[in-house]
Order: sequence, then structure tokens, then C-alpha cells
Amino acid sequence: MVNQLIPWLVWILPIAGALLTPGFARIHSKIRDYFAVGFSFASVLLAGSMLPSAFAGEINHFQLDWIPSLNIKAGVLADPLSIFMANVVGWVSFLIMVYSLGYMKEESGLTRYWFLMNFFIGNMQLIVLSDNFLQLFFGWEGVGFCSYALIGFWHTDELKYWVGTPGKVAWGVPQAYSPTHAGMKAFITTRIGDIAFLIGLLILFSFSGTFDFTSLATKTTWASNLASVGLFVPVALLIFGGAIGKSAQFPLHEWLPDAMAGPTSVSALIHAATMVKAGVFLVARVGPLFYAAAIAVQQIVPLFATIAWIGVFTAFLAATQAMVSKEVKKVLAYSTVSQIGYMMLGLGAAGLAVDFSSGYSASLFHLSSHAIFKAALFMGAGALIHATQTKYMHEMGGLRKSMKITFGAMLIAAASLSGIPPFSGFWSKDAILTSTLLASGYPLSGALFLLAVVTALITAFYSFRLIGMVFFGKKSENLENLEREGHHVHEAPAVMWIPYAILAAATIVIGIASPLFFEDKLRVTLGEFLESSFKIPFTQAVATTPALISAISSIIALSAGAGLGYYIYIARRIEPSVILQRSTLLTSVYRFFENRWYINSLYYKLFAYVTAAFSRILFSILEVGVIDRFNSVFADASVSFATLSDKFDLGIIDRLINGISKYGQKFSLVVRRIQTGIAQYYLLAMGVGVIALVVFMILVL
Amino acid sequence: MATYLFQAVLLPIVLSPVAYWLGKSLGVRSGWFTFGLMAYSTSLLLISASTGPSYSETYPWQPIGEFGLKADGLSLPFATTVAILSTVLAIYSMPYMKHRIEEEITTSSSSEREEQVKSGIGSYYMLYLLYTSGMIGTTLATNVIQFYLFFELMLIPSYFLIARFGYGDRNRISFMYFIWTHAGALLLLSGLLAIGFLAGPPGMPKFDMAAIATASIPFGLRVWVAAAIAIGLFVKLAAFGLHIWLPYAHAEAPTPISALLSPAMIGIGGYALIRFLLFVIPSAYLTTTFALSIWGVVTMIYGGLMALAQDDIKRLLAYSSISQMGYIIFGVSSAFYLGVSGSVFQYVSHGTGKAILFMVAGAIILQANGLRSISSMGGLVRKLPITATAAMIGFLTIMGTPPLNGFQAEWMLFSGSFAGAFQSGSNAKVIITAIALFSTAITAGYTLWTMKRIFFGSLPPELEGVKEASALVTIPLLFLAFLTVTLGVYPSLITERIIPMMKAAMGG
Repeated sequence: MVNQLIPWLVWILPIAGALLTPGFARIHSKIRDYFAVGFSFASVLLAGSMLPSAFAGEINHFQLDWIPSLNIKAGVLADPLSIFMANVVGWVSFLIMVYSLGYMKEESGLTRYWFLMNFFIGNMQLIVLSDNFLQLFFGWEGVGFCSYALIGFWHTDELKYWVGTPGKVAWGVPQAYSPTHAGMKAFITTRIGDIAFLIGLLILFSFSGTFDFTSLATKTTWASNLASVGLFVPVALLIFGGAIGKSAQFPLHEWLPDAMAGPTSVSALIHAATMVKAGVFLVARVGPLFYAAAIAVQQIVPLFATIAWIGVFTAFLAATQAMVSKEVKKVLAYSTVSQIGYMMLGLGAAGLAVDFSSGYSASLFHLSSHAIFKAALFMGAGALIHATQTKYMHEMGGLRKSMKITFGAMLIAAASLSGIPPFSGFWSKDAILTSTLLASGYPLSGALFLLAVVTALITAFYSFRLIGMVFFGKKSENLENLEREGHHVHEAPAVMWIPYAILAAATIVIGIASPLFFEDKLRVTLGEFLESSFKIPFTQAVATTPALISAISSIIALSAGAGLGYYIYIARRIEPSVILQRSTLLTSVYRFFENRWYINSLYYKLFAYVTAAFSRILFSILEVGVIDRFNSVFADASVSFATLSDKFDLGIIDRLINGISKYGQKFSLVVRRIQTGIAQYYLLAMGVGVIALVVFMILVL
Repeated sequence: MATYLFQAVLLPIVLSPVAYWLGKSLGVRSGWFTFGLMAYSTSLLLISASTGPSYSETYPWQPIGEFGLKADGLSLPFATTVAILSTVLAIYSMPYMKHRIEEEITTSSSSEREEQVKSGIGSYYMLYLLYTSGMIGTTLATNVIQFYLFFELMLIPSYFLIARFGYGDRNRISFMYFIWTHAGALLLLSGLLAIGFLAGPPGMPKFDMAAIATASIPFGLRVWVAAAIAIGLFVKLAAFGLHIWLPYAHAEAPTPISALLSPAMIGIGGYALIRFLLFVIPSAYLTTTFALSIWGVVTMIYGGLMALAQDDIKRLLAYSSISQMGYIIFGVSSAFYLGVSGSVFQYVSHGTGKAILFMVAGAIILQANGLRSISSMGGLVRKLPITATAAMIGFLTIMGTPPLNGFQAEWMLFSGSFAGAFQSGSNAKVIITAIALFSTAITAGYTLWTMKRIFFGSLPPELEGVKEASALVTIPLLFLAFLTVTLGVYPSLITERIIPMMKAAMGG
């Protein structure tokens, strides 16, 4: 068992660090920066110290009173799942904090930056370590807030900070957004998912009376009660809605590409490695709970097939857009959405397979390997953007000589993303493909597998496209202009490249360790955890045929995608624009992908524009046009009233009758009456009330 | 017998002429007297709270019954919120009202100016004390006549505060405010008198709430009385259709008074709704809940949509208050202890949150020459960092975001509504609750959008000279922000009083 304090401190320390940041800033800016990094380091050391307990399969559960009258406790649950996740989050966070020291050096507003970064880490660890839904929701919204505030970090909204290409319009909707707009978009879109989440968990609470994960797992009458009124699947899917929003899955995926308006370190931490994985984590946390319950009420297929389909469709949808993006960060953002789709697919397939644990551990394995290589790619992209002063890949080019370390690290990470063996991404993606094949009981599992393989092909293509456009070919005009002005492109400082070099190295280490022991160890640890906590049967044996089929398919897909990418962007045998010119079909497909399948435009029209217009119309027609008139009627009536009580002044009555259009005059009259006659009026009104009451009494009694 | 509550309510009334006199002789500094007095009242309320779950004082008051003051799980959150807000706003009023009164002075002679400021401040704090003790008294009253007297005591001074210190067409607006709220009050009064007469034998009416609760009254009559009381209170709560006075009054009142009117005073309608429907004439409650829930949702959505269409920051906040009152009505309609408790919590969190936001609006008005049009703002976070931080917290709590108290209120309220719906087997209610929850996205929309329009983006050149307001403005703001976080993280300060009481009253 671990010391009781440790899991608490893992999330409290970064929050404390955040709260202390303004204080440290008063002493010295260097002290502020180093303490901020220090708090995140202290937190991850504690998280690391819990690892032996995880491998021993221990469950550390500690609780405190929170809302006694509802029997709600605050608590931490450090089991193999949360300890594993806390370490992925913690280590990547810490490295990105170090990277920030270099990347954000020239910026102002750093007190806010460090506050939000540490506050984010604390809330993320709170999600990971919470033992109940309510407390998890605190972290859930906390990270959402940090994401909002950090996307909008450059709150002055100058044009250079915008995401997207200014002036570009799709379906009448502008496609470029200011940082604060993008932040707001992220917060509101994820909020829609969170509302679904909240509806689901409040209904769950009505039926179970608890938010506590362990109680929900042990007393499962809530599931049959929910199923008896037909709400089991709806509730589970509503809760999944939160994961869809947070992890930017279809149909709530449109916020993440625009979240790239934030600083790149933020994109790496929040919008690639950690927060967007919170949705996956949520499914991993409560998925087994619902799986075990779903078996009892026989509702597995509708629930887990939905998860799998949303995952695989999102993976495909986002990959197609990554193929045509011009901004380096946007390629990575679409790729993140796509890769999270894989993780969701793995979790969905887990529920559809006989052995829950293989899809489950595949998904978590891919989560960690993606966190590592995607954080490395983002940090590398940040270094590129710093060095070349542009976010567009076609304004880079030929950088492999001048930025050797960045090139090496990004190449390794991109190879991992493409799924080239032996890098970690190959094994983890392969495990997910295998788990799809294991869902053989589900009739459409073949379609899931096929779409996943096609996505793997696209993934390899856009990874090579990125590497090719940035590092190969000739230097772009932009770079030549820069050189003429005396800015020579050079390697990032050590404080920036060391973090992503470490992550690139980790990709290799995990890649080598995976087939030897790591993947299996993870599967066994998680499988035993599922068996002990949720009574989900765990089979040690691994089916070899599906693993072989998926390995062969993924290598074929990889060769096709990577080959094409290599041919066009690295070997540069043909100009991409020439290909497009040859075929109108390809051009329109390209347009379609580039315009985000028009989903973004549709959402703006359907929700933002319509709501705003509706509120304005309602205001002018109903509020001003009808309800506000009551006032005038009221005022008219009281004017006559006051006049009557003031000895009947014919002149005023005349003017009243004639003066329907002369509101202004009338009100000044009212006012004059009132200033002299308020007490009279008041007494009169009281009198009327009392008389009405007496009449009422007489009638009633 | 201790006289904590008696002092808490009556001392401000008795000493209000002293506030006037002090204002006339000392000027703005006399605000500290009002602050001290309200701080004393607040601490007395907290002391009475520390004695146990329910504390009451009764004084003979023949022939009407008893003059009682009761701090139980229901009244205490309301009374304490009012007391804390009026304590904090007494400080905030000093710089704000000085500025406000000076704006109106036309004479240029400095000694005359000073005289006018002093007398203005004197009347302001006198009315302020009467108004706030009227609110506190309303929540603590145990007798319906006494309740009504305090109810009037909060209406009349607030009328004068708007008429004397307000903005815009203040005479017309204060009059409108007066008429509307009195129409509601009279309907309420007729309901209260009717129930009082019905409760006793002919000629011997009973006006003590406890006595009315146990009296046997025909069911048909009780429903009518409940409807009269509810609709009378709906005017106060500015429920949809009866709300039109509110945007005018709350937008044009002097801002510290807006900060008391908007969250504290109108929410007392919610208190009275719970007190009368659940504790005075309980058997009529269940028949009203469905209508209440519809009315609540419509008010929520309508207020939110109206807020989206506003450009004047104070009008926007006023419409937002209408929407938030919809939440309170909705919680009351839940027919479940957790939902009603959520409404009480909603009052507290809206109280802190909306007070913060009105104070933010006031800070901008103070520092940017009376600027209220949101479209002329932008980028103010660079000039007003503390105000912006407080505004963010205020907006997030209105949105119901953890770790702020607005979230605790919201989840309890909606959870209770679901539970009530399942308990009664009403599918319609389940769907209405889901709709209500989804409509909270409108709140997220107008809060974040407003935050963006005021504080982010480019700074208009004419706002280049804006500076952060004085500590008398920022410290009250930060204090309330702190309270908002504290109650969000540690909700048991409120829940452990209200939930047991509601559980006992409603079962579950």
C-alpha cells in the first residue's frame, strides 16, 4: 500500500503551486518559473513512487467527508489504471513545463501562464485519481477552464496569433479565428458534451444514490433499475458524451483544430498529450463498470458498438483533414483527433470481444505511446515555428541540415505515428487493430477493421508529408527572406530540445521493450485489475491469428501510405498541385477535406448564428414589441388613476386620450403626480387590496 | 433569552437616522458606520447559526400573534447572504456613491458641492440600512403579517434609492418598479390574509406561520391561495411574463443597489415560495409543481436569450438574473428535497456571483467615465486585471462551473429534479429537466461571449487611460470571489443546514 497522503498530494501540489505563483512572481520572475516547474516535478515524483503498488495490483482507496448529509465523500483511488495514467500525465507534463522555460521565455503574462499550467496539471491529476464522479467533474471542468484560458493566452487577439488562414471562407463562414474566439469555442463545445455527461450522471445518481466508483461496482442494482425503464444505454451514452466533447470526437470534434491558437507548449500538453485523453480515461475508468453491468442487463452491443463506431469514424474523418492542412500544428491537431479515435475504437472493441482486457489495454497502451510521440512532435513544431517565424509548412522546407536534433526527434516521433516498427506506435496501433478483429462476435467488426486500416494508410501518408514538407526539398522563399534579413535558422536551445529528445528516445525504448515484455505486462496487470475490481474474466492466452492478420494489414497500409508520401514530399518526384490539376474529382475531394467536410460551417450556421439571430428577433418582437407594452398600459392606467384621485383634471384626461403617440409627455406627467402623490397612491392601492380581500372573504365564508 | 436576531434586524432600522446624521456631518467616510453595523448584524446571524440547526426568538405581538424571528436551515442561508452582501457593498458604496452623487451636482461652488454630497450620502445610507434590514427581516419572519411588513420595508426604500440615485429615466423607472412590485405584493397580501382568516375560527384569524401550517383548511381553497401567493411572488422573482420591470430597474439603479436588488432581493421571492408552499400550506405544493417547472424553464431560457441580445452591461446582467431566477423556480418545482435545497444554494451562489458581476460593471462605470455599452469595450483585462479576474469568477459561477459554488447549486438542483421526476414516474418531467440542463449552454454562451467582448481583444484608444479601481472596490470584489470558491469546494457550510431540514420536510 502507498502512504495515504501521496495520491492526494499528486494533484494538490500542482494546484498549490499554481496558487503560489503570483506570490513567487513578486519575489522574482526566475523564482516564479523554477518553482512552477518544481511543483510539477514534485508531483510526478510522488506519482512515480506509486508505480510498484500498481504493478503489485494494489487498490489504494482513501476517503474524507465532503457532503455528509448526502453521504458524499471526497476520495482518491490509486489503482493500476490511475497510477499508470498519473505517470503518463505527470512525466509528459513535467517535460513540457521544462520546455516552456525556453519556449515562453520572451512572452509577457507568464504569471498567468504558469498559474494555468500548474492548475491544469493539478486538475488533470484530480480527474485521474478521483474515486467518484462528482469530484472527477471538478477536475473535468477545471482542465476545461485552463484549456479555454490557455488557448486564449494571447488575449489581445492580434492577427499574428490567429489560427487558420484569414480571409478564407467556407459556406459563408470565416475559417480563421482569434485566440479568444477559439478558446470560447472550445469551452462551449466541450460544455455541450459536459451537459450530456452531467445529465447522465445525475440520472445515475438518482438511481444509485452514490457517485462513488467502487460502490457503483459492488452494488449493481442501479443497472437493472435503469434497464427496466429503458435508460441504461441512454445514461451510459450520455456519460460517454462528456468523453466525446473532451476528447474531440465526432460530432464534437470541431473545437480542437482551432485550439491551436494557443501557445505550442499548451497544444502539446493539453491538446495532445493529456486533457484530450481525459475522455479516453473516463471511458477506461467507467467502461468496465458499465461493461460488467451491461452483461447483467444484456445491453452490451448497442453501447460498445456506438463507442467503437464513433471512434473509428472520427479516426478516419480527422485523418482526411490532416492530409490537406497547411499549418504544421493543425496537421498534428487533426492527427490527435484521429489517434484518439483509435483509442475509442479499442475501448469499444474491448466490449464487443470475448476478452475485454485486450482491447482495453491496447487502448491505454496507445494512449501512452501517443502521448509521448505526439508531445514530441508538438514540441518540435514549436521549435520550428520559433525558428522559421511561420506556422505554414510550405513556408519552411529543407530544414534537416539546420535543425538536426529537431529533425531527428521529429522523424522518430513521426515514424512512431505512422506505425513503423519497431517504434512504440507500431505496437500500440497494431494492438488496437488486433482487438477489432477479436470482436468477432459483432457482425460489423470487419468494417471497423477495414476503416481502421484505411486510416492507418492515411496516417502514414500525412506523417511523411509533414516530414517532407518541413525538412526536405528546397528552402522556402520565407526562409530565404529571413536569411536575407539576417535571421539564420538555427537549432532550438537545449532547454527546449532536451525534453523532446527524451520523448523521442522513450518512443524507441518502449518500442523495443514492447514485444519483449512491456505490452504483455501491461495487459496482464490491467487484466488482473479488471478481474479483481469488476469481476471481468481475464484470459492469459493471446490469439495469434488475429495478431498476424492485423500486423500484415498494417504493414501493407503503412507501405502504401508512406510510399506515396515519400514519393511526393521527400523524393519530390511530382508536384502536389500538378496532381490536383489533373483531376477535378481530386480537387473537389481536396476542397471537401480542406473545408472540414463543411461540418464546422454547418455548426456555426446551425447553432451560433441561429441562436444569436433568434435572440435578437425575440428581443425586438416579443420583449420590446409586446411585453414592454404592458408597461405603457400600466403607466396609462396609473396616470388615469392618479388623475382621478387628484380631483379630475379634464385637461390631462384630454391629453391622455389624444396622446397615445406622446409617451414621453405622459411619463413626465406620471412623474409629477408621483412625486407629489406617492403616499396617496400607496394608501389607495392598499385600500383596493383590502377591499378586494374583504369581498373575497365574504364570498368564501 | 438572547436577542441576537432582534438586534440583527432592528438595530439597523433604529440606527438608520444616525447614519443619515453621520453622513451629513462626515460625508463619505460615514459608510464605515453602516459597514460596522451590517458586520455586527452578520456576526449575530452567524452566532445564532452556531447555536444549532434551528434558532428562534419570539416576542408577544397581540392581537396579531407573535413577532418571531427564526433562523433555521431555510432562512439562514438567505439572511446570511443578504447580510454579507450588504456588509461588503457598504464599503463598495463609498467610492461609487460619491462619484454618482457628484455626477448629478450642477453647482460649481465647492462648499455647496460638498454639502450636497454629504446630504446625498446621508440619505443613501439611511435608506440602505432600512432596505437591507427589510430583506433580512423578511427571511426571518415567523408571522405572515410581520413578513408582509418587512416585505414592504424592502420595497419602499429601494424605490427611493432608485428614484433618488438612479440613472436614465429614473423617475419613470422607479415608478414602474414600484407599481409592478406592489401589484405582486398585494396579490401576495391577499393570499396571506386569506390563509390567515381561513386558518382560525371566524373572527379569530391566525397569522403565525406554524399555526397556519397545522390548521385544517379545505384543499380547494389552499390551492387557490397557493396560486395567489406564487403568482404574487413571481412578480418579485421576475418570472417570464412578469419580468419587464426588472431590466429597467436593475439596469438604472445605482450599481451597489443593483448588486443587492438583483441577486439578493428578487431571490427572496424564491425564499418565500419555498417557505409558503412547503412549510405554511404544504399540501397544495405538489399540485403546483408541474406548472412551476414549465414556468421555470421558460424563464431560464428566455432570460438567457434576452441577455444574449443586450449591449448595455447592466441590462445584460439584469436579464441574466431573470434567467437565474428561472433556475430557482425550477428547483422549487422538483418535488424532491435535493432540488429544493439546490434552489436555496442557487440563491446563495447567484447572490455572490451576480453581486460580483454588478460590482465589476460598477467598477468599469467608475473607471471609464460611465461606460456601459459592451460594444465600446474590449481589451480591458490589460487595464483592469483584478476586476477581470473577479469577473471571470463571477461569470464561471453563473455558468455553474466547479470549483465555484454555482456548480454545487446547479447539480443539486437538477439532480433533485431528476429524482423527483423518477419518483413520480413523470416522463415529461425527465425530458423537461434534460431540456433545462441543455439550456445552460445558453448561459455559457452569453457569459463567455460577454467576457470576451469586455476584457479581451484590442483596447479602444479612448480607454487607454483607464486604471484599476481603488482598494475599496477591489477588496470587496476579491472577498466575494473568495467566498464563491470556498462554498464551491466546501459546500457543507450550507448543505448541512438546508438538506436535513428539507429531507425532514419532504422525505426521501
